[in-house]
Amino acid sequence: MRQYVKPISFCTLLTFLPWLSVYAAGEGEGLGFTTYYFSDSGDNSVVTTSFNLVKKLLDKTLFLIDIELDQVTVPAVTAVTGATRPQRRKNEPFEKSRGQIILGLQQGLGDNSTIAANYYRSQEVDYASNSFVGTYSQELNDKSTTITFRGQFNADVVGKILENGDIAQQRKKSYNGSVNLSQILSPNTVMDVSYDFVLHKGFLSDPYRQVKVFDTNGASAAVDELHPDSRTRHAAATKLSQFIPPIKASVIGSYRFYVDSWKVKSHTAELKLNKYILNDVVFGVDYRYYTQSGANFYQDKYVGGQFLEGGFKTADYKLKPFSSNNFGFTLTYLLRGLAKSNPDLQFLQDSAIEFEYFRYFNDLDFSADIIQASIKFSI
Amino acid sequence: MRLTQLIAIALLVYFLYGCGTVKVYQRGNLGDPIMERQDVFAKQTLEQKFFSTREGSIGGASGIGGGCGCAK
Repeated sequence: MRQYVKPISFCTLLTFLPWLSVYAAGEGEGLGFTTYYFSDSGDNSVVTTSFNLVKKLLDKTLFLIDIELDQVTVPAVTAVTGATRPQRRKNEPFEKSRGQIILGLQQGLGDNSTIAANYYRSQEVDYASNSFVGTYSQELNDKSTTITFRGQFNADVVGKILENGDIAQQRKKSYNGSVNLSQILSPNTVMDVSYDFVLHKGFLSDPYRQVKVFDTNGASAAVDELHPDSRTRHAAATKLSQFIPPIKASVIGSYRFYVDSWKVKSHTAELKLNKYILNDVVFGVDYRYYTQSGANFYQDKYVGGQFLEGGFKTADYKLKPFSSNNFGFTLTYLLRGLAKSNPDLQFLQDSAIEFEYFRYFNDLDFSADIIQASIKFSI
Repeated sequence: MRLTQLIAIALLVYFLYGCGTVKVYQRGNLGDPIMERQDVFAKQTLEQKFFSTREGSIGGASGIGGGCGCAK
């Protein structure tokens, strides 16, 4: 497949500016506006805009509202049966919007612990998701150790737009539990360890993807993919963040191991270097490597009548064995110098202008480019 | 017991009992912007969302929801 990178003009970039975030230093309060642009080698594109507000209601009570809008464009279907979009008007690009809202409350319990509850709702024409999240966080050892427990329940409605415009619906539920441990090891070193558990139940296929099933004579028929109706997933991760005073830089390394009941197993390693190149200018480079095995029911080719009516089969490339690379860089200008030199500009103390680019590519001939530009303000 | 389990237990013990000696006034570098410890929202970042929708794995975003307790 020919690699395709959608060109992004300067004007387009300006349209997606700014990523504006306003944070009240040390209090957790803030106001933000974010934009993000994505395009990939399949000519899919996503533009995301989000607004968020964290406001203190009482002494130790924070309220959160987060609103996010996505504009998704999927190209016309050619001969690819793995496309995840309706067949209806398949010769035209498919465009849809997604809206998301998060409402949350966080309550401090004494000096060392917090409890939080969030509600999440996401809605698009053929998909809806509702989530309830509970979090408890406890600081220990003179605040050198933080342990956080999190539980989440998701109820999703998976829709399929039919040829006549009607929508057929299926249901999916997810149960998620996680624990994170963050530990200060020295005045320049922090380490994180985490474990995540997820159980999915219900309709776990993509309603639009189809698989070619062959008979012994080589003739084929396209049928809907069929995944098992249950999946258990485990992820264990660790991250080490090291500040290096002599060169005013930091190195952040992380590793994740993942395994699930469909026999997908993966390893992820990431290394990031941030370096002050001027007093208030930071240059960062980031590399991430990912490799996974395939699901136990994945096959390059499905042959036999048993796959026409039943039998697990998939057209999801995420269930194939593959590896990917991600390379990116960040340039950040911290505005604290302006705040220091002018008392009227104190609101710039934690403010920054940032530009980020990363390129993702895997050995399945898929690639993507992401550009993000941001401005953050504190008040 | 397997070697990996022993290492995991040793790390946990080290975390909980061996490293409570860094004073609050010594944590200035940990709060520097280049350490990237200032996560405010415990929601999935746009980069995490990108990876989770294009790879077969999810989870393990260590540090999110936690914190280093560093003085700002």
